[in-house]
Amino acid sequence: MKKSLLLLSLVALFGAGCSSTPLDAPGDPSSASNYYGVDAVTAEALGLEELRGNQLLSQRSVFFDFNKYDIKPEFQDLIGAHAQYLNNHDPARMIIKGNADYRGSHEYNLSLGQKRSVAVKEALNALGVDDSQIETISYGEEYANQECQADACGQDRRADITYEVE
Amino acid sequence: MIYRIYSLFFGVLLLLSTPIYALEVIEILGGKASEIPIAIVPFDGLENIGGQKAHQIISSDLNRTGLFRPLNTLGISNPPSSDININYTKWSAMDAQFIVVGKVESENPVSGNIKITWSLIDIFKEKTVVSMRYIGKKSQYRAIAHKVSDNVYEHLTGSKGVFHTKIAYVKKVNNKKYSLNVADFDGFNSRPILNTTQPIISPRWSPDGEKIAYVSFEKKKPVIYIQNLRTGKRTLLANFKGNNSAPAWSPDSKKLAIVLTYNKNSQIYTINADGSGIKRLMRSNAINTEPSWAPNGEDIYFSSNRGGNPQIYKVNINDDEISRVTYEGKYNLSPSISYDGKLLIFLTNDQGKFKVAIQNLISNQVLKISEGPADESPIFAPNGHLVLFTYKDYGKTTKIGTVSINGLKRLPINVGSSIIQEPTWGPITN
Repeated sequence: MKKSLLLLSLVALFGAGCSSTPLDAPGDPSSASNYYGVDAVTAEALGLEELRGNQLLSQRSVFFDFNKYDIKPEFQDLIGAHAQYLNNHDPARMIIKGNADYRGSHEYNLSLGQKRSVAVKEALNALGVDDSQIETISYGEEYANQECQADACGQDRRADITYEVE
Repeated sequence: MIYRIYSLFFGVLLLLSTPIYALEVIEILGGKASEIPIAIVPFDGLENIGGQKAHQIISSDLNRTGLFRPLNTLGISNPPSSDININYTKWSAMDAQFIVVGKVESENPVSGNIKITWSLIDIFKEKTVVSMRYIGKKSQYRAIAHKVSDNVYEHLTGSKGVFHTKIAYVKKVNNKKYSLNVADFDGFNSRPILNTTQPIISPRWSPDGEKIAYVSFEKKKPVIYIQNLRTGKRTLLANFKGNNSAPAWSPDSKKLAIVLTYNKNSQIYTINADGSGIKRLMRSNAINTEPSWAPNGEDIYFSSNRGGNPQIYKVNINDDEISRVTYEGKYNLSPSISYDGKLLIFLTNDQGKFKVAIQNLISNQVLKISEGPADESPIFAPNGHLVLFTYKDYGKTTKIGTVSINGLKRLPINVGSSIIQEPTWGPITN
């Protein structure tokens, strides 16, 4: 209830921002697409400056072992930072995209990539982030290096954090 | 002598037929049945049509199955072109158990139609097994030769041949051009039915032959389409939140098992082919994916990591009862069921090498039928005697090939130099 009220007020805020600011006004920095192509009010509501500038928040990939989807301790800080960001910016929408290395079947790897994105989501849930802010999908092995050898395949075993606004 | 006339898309005249031989699938799987030595004699007359020769097409068809050993017939003096005056002693001395002879003639100079008359002869019993005549267009030459192969196969094994069927596969060029292609089972006459810039996976041919369901990433995430092969029209079957993947047709082509995630892990659902009636099959915390619908219409085989590593299980769609199917090997996935429901093929990780394995579902005997190291996507031929799969050519480029279920013959299907993956096999049609 509280959340939907807040959303409503934000929508109102965005609406106000749009109507009061002429589009493409030359030389007006507040109207230009400074942050990922959104106006300044939206950018502020989403805390995009923080998202872009914060060292931990600019880290977007969580890596996994072969056929595994448990999150290693070294990624807790990264996940903590994103959880805090999402908790502080209700309108922010995250899409987590899971990936797998090429070994095994396309479909199983799609499921494995999904398990990885869900593992990241659940770690965020544990830190108080609501499901409504996160969508989990998987690319499986479809964008993976099909000729990787040994350790190099580890680059493909990851979940990428992206934000809708980007 | 029994005279019968069959009408196919080209004319067929069956001149003589004797009872068929029968080969048990179990014999084939055990690898005990030795390959039948057969001589496909070069056909008389106009055999060379645009560089294609009927005896070579038939020979190559039968060779793929691992059940026949086509003998070298080059340099044979006075090759017979009919079942009259066969020198049985000579063929017997060559170890030929059967021979196929025939001739290609012009049937009608105006229409350009050709006439192929051929016989299958049993050398041991010194008698003709079958004689037939096909009439068709020159453009149907390969198709007619495949029909001869089908007939020989059916007479000598008791099972239908798959030499006149179609396959489909995904071609990938430079990681940015993807196409879904349809071709003859041996790779000839290929044509794209879909071109896109995003990955396509898991095409599955409907058992009625009319449609192909597949997963496309063109909406920036996996969604399932069904494409009608006659009209080329496609419809979006599933575009739910999260991933939509792994379509598997029911035997009557009316439903599909699919995998959806919403905001969780992969679970199997059933859905009507028109997109209505979505229903969750079962739920677990583990991955459930790669459904393959058994021919009884009641069981769905799938892969799941509910026991730690992926293994093959089956679930009954009426009562959700689940049982484990594979026990050999620590990592098994990608199940495909034969059309008689007796055999299962799957991908097994054998000490780091991915190979195709086959399991007799009655005795549970398992046989690895490919070498790896990076084989994938095994799918049964519609007669359950051959398996289409992918392998990495020289360890690099993924290609498709067939392997006979006795593991004796692994042969490539040449459809070009690009990456070729995710094959499916169409049904036997008349």
